[in-house]
Amino acid sequence: MKNMKTVQLVAILFMTGVFATHLYGQNNYVDKAGYLKFEASEKLFEPVEAVNKSVTAVLNTDTGEFASLALVVGFRFENSLMEEHFNENYIESETYPKAIFRGMLIDFDLSNLSDEPVEIAVDGKLALHGKEKEVKTMVSLQKLNGAVVMKGGFTVTPSDFAIEIPSIVKNKIAREVLVSLNFNLKP
Amino acid sequence: MQLKLSLIACLLVISVGHAQEDLLSGFDSVPTNTFKSAAFKGLKIVNFESTKMVSKGELYFVVSHRFGSVKTGIEDFFGLDQAVTRLNFLYAISDGINIGLSRSSFQKIYESSLKVRLVREKANGFPFTIVSSNNILLNTALDDDVLPGLSFENRLGYTVQLLISKRFNKNFSLQLMPTFFHDNLVSVAEQENSQYVLGFGGRHKLTKRFSINFDYGLHMNRASSSPFKNPLSVGIDIETGGHVFQLHFTNAQPMNTNGFLGQGTGDWGSGDFFFGFNLSRVFN
Repeated sequence: MKNMKTVQLVAILFMTGVFATHLYGQNNYVDKAGYLKFEASEKLFEPVEAVNKSVTAVLNTDTGEFASLALVVGFRFENSLMEEHFNENYIESETYPKAIFRGMLIDFDLSNLSDEPVEIAVDGKLALHGKEKEVKTMVSLQKLNGAVVMKGGFTVTPSDFAIEIPSIVKNKIAREVLVSLNFNLKP
Repeated sequence: MQLKLSLIACLLVISVGHAQEDLLSGFDSVPTNTFKSAAFKGLKIVNFESTKMVSKGELYFVVSHRFGSVKTGIEDFFGLDQAVTRLNFLYAISDGINIGLSRSSFQKIYESSLKVRLVREKANGFPFTIVSSNNILLNTALDDDVLPGLSFENRLGYTVQLLISKRFNKNFSLQLMPTFFHDNLVSVAEQENSQYVLGFGGRHKLTKRFSINFDYGLHMNRASSSPFKNPLSVGIDIETGGHVFQLHFTNAQPMNTNGFLGQGTGDWGSGDFFFGFNLSRVFN
């Protein structure tokens, strides 16, 4: 009986140890000035596109876990009134200030990366405007000067996130929004 | 003992698991001390300038119309047969400095304008946006034949105005406009050339795309013999992505500040008012 307890104790200690190593040995590569762009332009009409150059992205290189956060007020449009309308009437950034992606890089292994870009699948969820949507896409990864460079894109639709497009501008805003990203993740 | 240990282990696992889950912890704070979004979306509330500025590098072309009095009824199609037009070019040297040049068919007035933002309202900071708006006007309709001895100075007018706005919430904004203006020539002999007006206006959003706007100018030293009236205007803003269309009714037909404050002839009480609109086109 006493043996049994010891075994259990050892097992628990061992497990705790494993998790602790996980915690303290966690390798996060971070970019605090990541680049995100979205485009919803229609030909012949005023461009509907914006760039955010202060996106945070974090990659756990042990697990392939990936997360990214963009403050929606950080998106810059060419037409400043369009930017105001985007924030107030479309994305409602006072109520929903953040866009967050959380996901996994499938079969990610840091040691496989080189300066040659490789395509890797990403699977995760994008949360914005109080809604969440599954996003699956491919990104290219390469290792440059010790940093992990991630480039790619995906498509979403405003209706995925309950963003209402009024009929008056329906023809001027593309049904599909193309999001492109560029992160330079440093250890 | 066993139970206790298991519990501790569970807690450890939970806490560790939690710490691992959120990669973004420590990065997800939202800055709170930020500038508030503009109190008004149009460069004008209705007749009065708003604290809205053109953004750096943008050129605005604003076309404004005030039709004839609706009082004329169907004969003039409620004033649509006659219109006063103002064409206005505005350019932003910086986000806080706008210059402009306009021509109005009312008295063939050319106007140059300078709008400077002095302070900007912050979410957890200064409670108002304050803008200084200044104009020089040139009345080119005055005729030497009718007014012998007319000199160039007589054609000039000036406006100095403070615009103080507050965005109370995402739907409701108010603005106060203490105004001084001076016309070197006034049509009413008893009227002082230097005139003072306290203007106030507001905007209330009804839906995401529509807001109702109003402004009013309280003239402080209008001559008792003056036929002119204080301007009261109500209108709507229709907002789409990047554009604002303004439609309104007002009892002043002129669109320059000196004009609608000093020479508005309409009278709401007797159904004598004007329909108008402001349209703008942005060039980046």
